[in-house]
Amino acid sequence: MTDSAGVEAWKEQTTAFDRIQSVASAVSQPQPASHIAAEAHVAENTARDHLERLVELNVLLKSDQDGAALYAPDPLHTRIQMLRDLLEEHDRDGLIQLKTSLQSQIEDWQRQHDVESPSELRDRAAETETASQTREIRNTASDWELVLYRLSIVEDAIENYNTYSEDFQVSA
Amino acid sequence: MAGSSDSYDSAAASHRALRSIKQELDRHPIVTETRGFPAGEFVEVVADIATERCGVDSDDSTLTVRWFAGESQDARPEFSFHYSDAKRDFGWHHHEQDHVEGWGHFQKRTGTSAYSYEAYTFPSENPAGLIWDVMANLSSRI
Repeated sequence: MTDSAGVEAWKEQTTAFDRIQSVASAVSQPQPASHIAAEAHVAENTARDHLERLVELNVLLKSDQDGAALYAPDPLHTRIQMLRDLLEEHDRDGLIQLKTSLQSQIEDWQRQHDVESPSELRDRAAETETASQTREIRNTASDWELVLYRLSIVEDAIENYNTYSEDFQVSA
Repeated sequence: MAGSSDSYDSAAASHRALRSIKQELDRHPIVTETRGFPAGEFVEVVADIATERCGVDSDDSTLTVRWFAGESQDARPEFSFHYSDAKRDFGWHHHEQDHVEGWGHFQKRTGTSAYSYEAYTFPSENPAGLIWDVMANLSSRI
């Protein structure tokens, strides 16, 4: 089968390893090598080698289901990767400013919808009158969950700033 | 932890998808700059598009990407890739809606406020490869 223009461009601009890493880092549930290979447009044997390397590097977790190996992103690696992004982008004051901005966004949602949490907001979706209102509420609840997740890592970065920034300077 | 399964966190999954999208956009030859968390955007990725590399001059050309991995591990992701510039406003979306059958659709602003809709089938639901398909379609559309 001929590759689409998008796939052709992707293959031109990236290596097989890049594509395997990108695809495997974004799966929402553990997947076998065959699935990741097909999504990344890479031969299955090559994909398997790259996936094993990513497991060794602690980027992915490998599990077993009925004798078949499944691969998924390592949540700890995701978190450390984001801590690194935060420390590259901000000093301590910048992190505190970012924390304030995220908290303000959450407080806006709390005020606007008169609820305390995204799950409480999701419950409100059952009471809406139109489909578009329901979608809007569900979208806001999803955004809220994402902001809470990111806020938790920003708080971690602030709390351990001295340790992390020293580690970061050593490794940079 | 967000999401309904013990081991599944929908917010972490959405975060990873958005990070992967930003990484792929950074690799794309017609993208000049991307913004995402922690620099500039809290819940989406925005890319500046160099339309002149497609032979078209336009101002303020941006692609805005949103991605929600789904409330449970088996739920379908909801996402949108929306382009706008001084003259154009269109995008490929995947979520529940009433305009066409199914979730996937292409929407384009036709007048001052209204959008027209057509059904669209996405070739994948993995964000990494999908962004390259969208960018190929985008180049054709502009």
